[in-house]
Amino acid sequence: MLSYHQKSFLIVDDFSDFRSSVRSMLRELGVKDVDTADSGEQALRMCSQKAYDFILQDFHLGDGKKNGQQVLEDLMIEKLISRESVFVMVTAETSQAMVLSALEHEPDAYLTKPFNRSGLAQRLERLEQRKNLLKPILQALDRGKPLEVLNACIELCKKDIRYSPLCLRYRADALRDLNQNEALERLYDSIIADRPLPWAFAGLGQLLFKRGQVSQAKGIYEKALKVFPMMPALYDGMADVLVVEGDTKGAQKVLEEAIRLSPLAVRRQALLGKLAMTNEDFDTASRAYRQAVSQGAQSRFKDAESNLGLAHALISKGSEKGLDTRTRLEINTTLSLVAKENPSDPGLQIRARLMKATSLLLNDSETAEKLTEQAMMRLDGMEQFMSAEAALLVAKQLQMLGQASAGASMLKNCAEIYGDDPVVMKGIAKLTDDPTILSSSNAAAELNREGVRVYKTGNLVEARSVFRKALAMQPKNISIALNMAQSLLHGTDTSVPSAEIDECRVCLKMVGLMPDTDARYPRYQKLKIKAFGG
Amino acid sequence: MSQDNPALDFSTVIASTVHDMKNSLAMLMQAHSHWLTRLPDPEQHSPEQGVIEYEFAHLNGMLVQLLGLYKLGVNQLPLQPAYHDLDDFLEAQLASHQEVFASRGIIATYEVDPLSPLGFFDRELVASVLGNIINNAIRYARESLLISVSDEGGQLVLTINDDGAGYPAEMIEFQADYVQGINYTSSSTGLGLYFAGRIAALHQRNGVGGSTRLSNGGPLGGGVFSLYLP
Repeated sequence: MLSYHQKSFLIVDDFSDFRSSVRSMLRELGVKDVDTADSGEQALRMCSQKAYDFILQDFHLGDGKKNGQQVLEDLMIEKLISRESVFVMVTAETSQAMVLSALEHEPDAYLTKPFNRSGLAQRLERLEQRKNLLKPILQALDRGKPLEVLNACIELCKKDIRYSPLCLRYRADALRDLNQNEALERLYDSIIADRPLPWAFAGLGQLLFKRGQVSQAKGIYEKALKVFPMMPALYDGMADVLVVEGDTKGAQKVLEEAIRLSPLAVRRQALLGKLAMTNEDFDTASRAYRQAVSQGAQSRFKDAESNLGLAHALISKGSEKGLDTRTRLEINTTLSLVAKENPSDPGLQIRARLMKATSLLLNDSETAEKLTEQAMMRLDGMEQFMSAEAALLVAKQLQMLGQASAGASMLKNCAEIYGDDPVVMKGIAKLTDDPTILSSSNAAAELNREGVRVYKTGNLVEARSVFRKALAMQPKNISIALNMAQSLLHGTDTSVPSAEIDECRVCLKMVGLMPDTDARYPRYQKLKIKAFGG
Repeated sequence: MSQDNPALDFSTVIASTVHDMKNSLAMLMQAHSHWLTRLPDPEQHSPEQGVIEYEFAHLNGMLVQLLGLYKLGVNQLPLQPAYHDLDDFLEAQLASHQEVFASRGIIATYEVDPLSPLGFFDRELVASVLGNIINNAIRYARESLLISVSDEGGQLVLTINDDGAGYPAEMIEFQADYVQGINYTSSSTGLGLYFAGRIAALHQRNGVGGSTRLSNGGPLGGGVFSLYLP
């Protein structure tokens, strides 16, 4: 077994004095293989070239740069470091970094500046020992095999029961990945009954929420927040609960609390923007989206939706007299980025143009008209489905821009794709009184429900024929097409060609046009793998 | 700026200044240790180095404590408890004072009950408490210091024992006053006890909070500081 002296090190810090000081400490400890990086971006590039055993990452790398937590997230999600490598977060002050850390990506250790050579040596020695002790678990994690993780945990505890607390987190995550919900709930309950651990509270809350036990999840989050009022992830869970309960104002308040604790969080800011839009609090929405856009620039969670959200919030905030120059400039900048960075996404190209046209409606109708025309041309040739939310906004803006018939056909399309969802239908009803659109999906949705009932009785032939009838009425409806595909795959041997397989593949090709943000996308992927092979 | 706002919130000013001071001290300490390695051997071990290192650690401990007290005051001190390997934890606390022990000729050791190798607490917070107590013990110890871990009625007890003259009798008698913050202005040790008491109390289990205790004696015959964590 190699000791840490023979391992490779990467020091990431923006201060050259600090880099050279740590480098010489490591040299004095006998470490030969030491590289340095002065930014997170450089560290990521270096980690993609070379597998480091130890990374000593400074948390704060300067304003406008990736921070240590973002670097860690990128390394883990891009799988640029093995679970067996040691990631140490170096901080001037640890509590701040901890509040910013996401519960799912924690560093192996924190090291507070200043530290001396013996302090560093001691930490490295122990971290190395710890990784060796947990090696079978970590290797199973790297292989992505949760069942092996569980077995490795059992083995380790058999060897020495005193180490069982170290395995708790690995066991819980593995049970979650295996969808063993009952066992997972029992484990979380027993952990919390013994010791209140923040990640166990968050995990239990998520599990209950996922299973639809919303009020129980709420109870857990309430209890957890009393013990850990500084843990942003618990506020996120609470906000999810409140949204489902329809209390969007309460959810916004809870998220604002989390952001006060931990403002550097792209996804949280974007979610706050969305909630504030729902609550028509356009000031908060534009502030949150503005943060999401600027922080997102260095983050892997960069999302054009935030740019569009920012523009939408700013337009909604504007008065009847139109928008002031500064606001128009900000809208222009943020939307130009969307168009520039997503050249091959027709949906975003259309939405960016319509958004900009809407912003110019009062001040520059000529340009607005030109942009609308461009958007409509692209809309004609677009095959992919927009999300229901995006489609509704596009329809509304088309109406505002004087394109009533294009707006109506957008709504009709939306009713076909999402018509089985009462929330979407309510949104459509806000934009039109046309009975042919509003009732267009009723018959197919009824047949779809009927098909599900028949499918549950086990009568496959009858279920397929009902779904087929429904799909003939609304060929683009995602729910119906997925149900059709599933009923066709049920009991069919996919290795031999058959009419069922062909029909199923046609269905899946159609719903493959859905946005990958749709909640049903994972189900689609599973069916696709079955029908087309892995 | 609006005139309704009070010009400055002094505790925030202190906190952000202390934060900068701490960063600056960290650079100073790092540079000093770097520079030391380039000195010829006798200078490396001159008595002045011992003073410098001791006072560096003392300063750093005070700044950490001051920031901690500020955060306790504005209710922003996060508790992040987890299971920690006690061997590792105590070894790390001693390692960070290694140079000072060496220059003062103090032998520092620790003992962990092999049957309970893991403890449940917030590593950073408890480390900042121990750092101050160790720093204090170094001042009074003659040649040895011992940290031991035991289990008392289900509570984890971290004990720091030195072979000095022990705590003054009135400090032991009125220790509850220090912990409650009634009498902490008189000495930095008193403020340290107050801080330790608050950190201990943040650790709770089934309604029982942690606590601290001062006494004299122990295996080394000097001061004994005990931190009880439920």
